[in-house]
Amino acid sequence: MEEQLWQLSNPILGIIIVVLTFVLFYVVSYISNRSSTSVEDLYATKGGVGPITNGLAMASTYMSLATFLGVTALILQLQVPFVLLWIQFILAIPLITIIYGTSLRRMGAFSPTHFVRDRYGKTASIIAALWMILVCLMYALGQMIGIAVTFETLLGIPYMTGLLVGGLFIVGYVTIGGMSGATNNAAIQMVIIALMFIIPLGAIMKAMGSTGWYFPPLLYSDMVPAMLEAMPSFFDYQYSSKWYFAIIPAFTLGALGLPHLAMRVYTASSLRSARQAMIWFALALGIVFASTYTMGFAGVYFEQSTGTIIGQADADKLTIILNLVYNPEWVTALVIAGAISAGLSTISGNLLAIGALISQDIVTTLKPNLTNKSKLRLGYISIFLGGVASVLLAINPPAFLIVSILWAFGLAGSTNAPLILMGVWWKEANRYGAIAASLISGIVYVVISPFVFPSIVVSGHALTDSMGISGAMIAIPLSFILLIVISYITNRIDALRDEKSVKDIHSLIERIHGWSDINPKRYNSTAGAFIITFVSALIFVWAIMPWNL
Amino acid sequence: MDAYKKEVYFTILMSLAFVITGHLGLFFSLFPVEGYLFGFPIMYIVPILFGWFGVLILTVVSGKIGNHIDDAIEEENQQNKKKQSGEGAV
Repeated sequence: MEEQLWQLSNPILGIIIVVLTFVLFYVVSYISNRSSTSVEDLYATKGGVGPITNGLAMASTYMSLATFLGVTALILQLQVPFVLLWIQFILAIPLITIIYGTSLRRMGAFSPTHFVRDRYGKTASIIAALWMILVCLMYALGQMIGIAVTFETLLGIPYMTGLLVGGLFIVGYVTIGGMSGATNNAAIQMVIIALMFIIPLGAIMKAMGSTGWYFPPLLYSDMVPAMLEAMPSFFDYQYSSKWYFAIIPAFTLGALGLPHLAMRVYTASSLRSARQAMIWFALALGIVFASTYTMGFAGVYFEQSTGTIIGQADADKLTIILNLVYNPEWVTALVIAGAISAGLSTISGNLLAIGALISQDIVTTLKPNLTNKSKLRLGYISIFLGGVASVLLAINPPAFLIVSILWAFGLAGSTNAPLILMGVWWKEANRYGAIAASLISGIVYVVISPFVFPSIVVSGHALTDSMGISGAMIAIPLSFILLIVISYITNRIDALRDEKSVKDIHSLIERIHGWSDINPKRYNSTAGAFIITFVSALIFVWAIMPWNL
Repeated sequence: MDAYKKEVYFTILMSLAFVITGHLGLFFSLFPVEGYLFGFPIMYIVPILFGWFGVLILTVVSGKIGNHIDDAIEEENQQNKKKQSGEGAV
């Protein structure tokens, strides 16, 4: 099937709706950020965001362009295994909140690496920040490419023009709005995403003959018998339990290391508000996620029942294709606006994280005496440069980057998550362990990915390796082992022990958990560290055994 | 130490509960089940329902317990302060 068949016949309509959404986001940014006078305002809105806005913003930041375009494409390719892979992404904010989010909120951190600096010192924080910039760039890059591809294939705007004009507008609105603008916009974008995805999906289901069209996320079971007739293998699990287990380190733990997600917890007005926000997050994310499974189901059903072949190149456009087939053009134009909103909210989260990482975690660490005004200016410049970098990288893209976005989760999980988790819960974790864990496991993860050295791979199954599922099952346990073992050994070498910094770190850990005194028995379990090392070693050994996929 | 133990157990058990609820696909891959629920294959719809409503319920529960633990830590802080000032007076 020719790619150009799936385009709006009247691109002007699409362009007008996209421009109107951009105007809305600029106005919200401008109004929201007029009072931003400090870096606290810029990155954490002085912690003044209510639970509903914050919960919706969390969900919107998390749901990227991939939700609209990539997920349905991969359901088309993998069917149910990809649905089962995607379900667990809802765990990210709840786990971040209960494991370390509230502690870091109590500390007043701007980003997870801010905590790494206070906990492990400058060197570890700069290493972690550099990895995180790479993670955020990979993430933002994928969205930029997605937006440009959407402009190109659906509105007929050339890729380069779409990328440069779209990219510039996006960078502009994040730079103008800061965290306050991004949060308010992200909450609005969440509503746009939900409406522009679910209502047209209901119309598609109705046209397909489903009686449950009025609640698309769950009421499509009447299409199951027809699906089983058209494609009997749709519901098959296909892969071994090892594949399903490997999703836990790659994506569930990986998400714990993503800076732009964790930063959303710090914007909460209080700890109670942060906990309420995760309820709104689960509610909003659940409804859109369940709808993407329906969209994927409908796509497979459409392909199988009508005999239409949606090629590899068109797979990412499944949502749009279904709308073009079953809905009027103006509805498809709104869906495109929804897809672009999803990309925008994620990019803004990524760029703010890059801004915080460069200005707060690297430059301010190296030059701590900067004035507040200089820090704020530096923040704006960093956000802008991060955006420009992702636009420039997207000029010559390898492919649509949904798979690479997923790969970035494993990198965050290898280089950042163990440092934060152990740093919050185990006083013995020290800078030697942290530096070794972040550096070695990060390098191992990159080396065994198919992107750098295509001949060095773990499972030999192309999609499993490129999504980082197999690599993360090696690198993340390795990171925990290195952090715990090296910290344990170096803490017992007198020459490497600095009593003053140990005391400061113990005080920091007690404080972020809410204690006003220091008790050496708290957060100091050797047995707990041993169990984590043992379990990590088992997982590591399992990961290097044959995958047989 | 009571509030500390509560905090540690809460974090471990709640994290496990979240991970299990979001990964029912893994359990069905180990222990396959035949049959249908609400018109869908059980191994398809149960992970989806738990991954949405199960997680939602856990966020409500963990929010409430988390707030309770914050209060317990604060209470223990106050008691420790009183104890210390009491010791000082003696």
